[in-house]
Amino acid sequence: MSVLPFLALAIVGAVIATLLREFRRLGTLAGLGAVVVALAAAGLINPDTPLSIGGGALAGSDHLRLVLTLCLAGGLLVLIVARLATWQPSAPGALLGGAAGIGFALGLAGTPPGLLGAAAATIAASVLALGSPAAPSRIRALARELRGAATSLVIGLIAAGIVPGVAPAPGAAPAEPAAASLVLLGMALVVAHRFGAIPLHARVSRLADAAPSGALPILAAWLPAAWGLIILGWAPAALGPSSVGLGLERGLVVTLALATLLFGTVAALIQDEVEHVVAYTIVADAGVALLALAALDPAARDAARAWILVFATTRTAMIGWTIAFRAAFGTGRLRDTTGWLRRAPALGVALTGILVAAVAWPGLLAWDARLTILQSATAGPALLLAYAGSLGTGAAICRVLVVGGGRPSAIVASSLGELPRLPAGLVAQAAVPMPDGAPPAGAIAAAGALARRLRVAAAAAGRDARPTLELNRIPLRAFAVILLAGLALLAAGGAFGIDAAARAPGPMLPSPAPFVGG
Amino acid sequence: MTPLLVAAGALVAIGAAVGTGARDARIASLGLAVMLAAAPFVANPLPGPLPLAFGVVAGILAGFLVFVAARRVPNHAGPPLGLPATLGAAAAGFAVGISATAVALPRLGPDAALAAGLAACAVAVGPIAVTRDIFRLGSALIVLVGGAILVLTALAGTPEPLTGIAAGVVLVALAGAVAAVTGGAVAATGGTAVPDGLPGRRAAATRAGGDR
Repeated sequence: MSVLPFLALAIVGAVIATLLREFRRLGTLAGLGAVVVALAAAGLINPDTPLSIGGGALAGSDHLRLVLTLCLAGGLLVLIVARLATWQPSAPGALLGGAAGIGFALGLAGTPPGLLGAAAATIAASVLALGSPAAPSRIRALARELRGAATSLVIGLIAAGIVPGVAPAPGAAPAEPAAASLVLLGMALVVAHRFGAIPLHARVSRLADAAPSGALPILAAWLPAAWGLIILGWAPAALGPSSVGLGLERGLVVTLALATLLFGTVAALIQDEVEHVVAYTIVADAGVALLALAALDPAARDAARAWILVFATTRTAMIGWTIAFRAAFGTGRLRDTTGWLRRAPALGVALTGILVAAVAWPGLLAWDARLTILQSATAGPALLLAYAGSLGTGAAICRVLVVGGGRPSAIVASSLGELPRLPAGLVAQAAVPMPDGAPPAGAIAAAGALARRLRVAAAAAGRDARPTLELNRIPLRAFAVILLAGLALLAAGGAFGIDAAARAPGPMLPSPAPFVGG
Repeated sequence: MTPLLVAAGALVAIGAAVGTGARDARIASLGLAVMLAAAPFVANPLPGPLPLAFGVVAGILAGFLVFVAARRVPNHAGPPLGLPATLGAAAAGFAVGISATAVALPRLGPDAALAAGLAACAVAVGPIAVTRDIFRLGSALIVLVGGAILVLTALAGTPEPLTGIAAGVVLVALAGAVAAVTGGAVAATGGTAVPDGLPGRRAAATRAGGDR
């Protein structure tokens, strides 16, 4: 039952944020407020009694709570960063609509309803993000997203439908090898397309071009994560018994995964736009998702359920970082922003934090989960290759940091720094001594003078809040990005009980249909 | 397999063909509505009354949303294939589905559902692959998803009510998306053609300037 309030609040919030998006200030307040309320409701989701709906069920779980909480918390910070840089009216509605769809998809029992929920979420978020204001590039991107979501849904539904036909009792008998191989390849295609694995990578890169950057976390990271959670939750149970006879097919998926890891890393290393760097790190990590699918192993599934949260949180932080970076320097081209660390050390700190979260070290959840996935699907030289490829995101971030350490370009040199500033009038008023009479003597008189001075400063600050905010957009953005990096670090470290939630079984149902997100 | 089941399947196939092959966009939306409203009946056993009614209402609503979009489609924007060719493709898909008994495809649902689903998928694949018209693309995507749900019915048996409800929600969401994107395309370009060319990299000023 605890999912229902969240769904209601998120859907209502999405509608309100969308209706008010034409009003800059009101739309901002409504959008951010709705996200905060939905975040609070998501934090209250717990593994309670499933709610029966039409022969199926809807239930919360610890993992679902973490997915939605991290999605909305990261999305909220990205929205704040984006709002401090520009005005993106469609982003809050897209975030809320997408989060509501994810809640549906992962809360429903059974794979077909989960896939249908994920498709509905993708369609809703894409339309809310790209539908208005209309522009040719957005129409093109929206058409691509609709085509991708629909075809992924069709392949997933048919693949999920084949398994009951060949193995009516789940777990009782292995599926017919030919059918099982078709199913595995179909589901691998869906995962590859949703995450943007090579050669289906163009979607992510073009989405980064066309979509409002505030909506990119939900479109490029969290929705693919939801698709991945559904399919990875289903695969070991449906195809695990047949895994012995699927050597060739699993080999094909592993090959695709390795190619994605390596070529995605290379692509991320040669991109010039920071948004494209982030997009290709998403592409590269699609290889890890594919390896988790190819493993067909419950241990890899549990690891993937934890790793996906780290993946999406770090990508959300990286997207927030790119927004702040572009806003600080007016461009996202690395060749024009050499030496950016001199002007934006706080962004450097944040990016270093994101680097640590993305790569991690042995003993940390992010590292261990990734290694479990790699070891479940590969061995020998392939494991070495996969291991090297999985560090591609770290390499791409290191390259950006190295560029930042160079000699400052003209653009960087002429940009504003990150130090907080006060309006000139405010500074002058705060510095003015007592207007009349002799200087007060004694401790009490001095305290009174100080209090009066503070009152003057506070009144002036209230009057000058807007100019102060305008002057301090850069440090505020940097602060929000540091918070994003902190969130990513916490997720990578396994805070919030991510590991336990990923391993916890879903709610018990009388029906054999498992909870894909539970 | 009863004659009624085959008739419902044939109605779905014809609706799908009209939905993707009719030159007039409004007639195409009517075909879509017929297809989507008839699809829940192609199951054995039939879903319960409530899921059945939900499926029919969702189908009609989806067809109506597409009709709203169809009113804005310029007259010259026709489908990539004509109606006769699309009907032929639907007939071929239907025949393949009905003949599936011959190859002993393991499944738990009726042949008519497989026939109708394959017919819908057959007519939808062409427009999805080649068309540059956003309305025709959207219509074909709706037909494809409707066809996939029928194939799921054929393979896994009559879907649980929750699956039927979720399918109805997806179809309505997709139809709403088609209405939105068609309206946006008409507003932005004056037509329903997907703009040519790869999206250019946004200039720094454009991105920094936000959405507007």
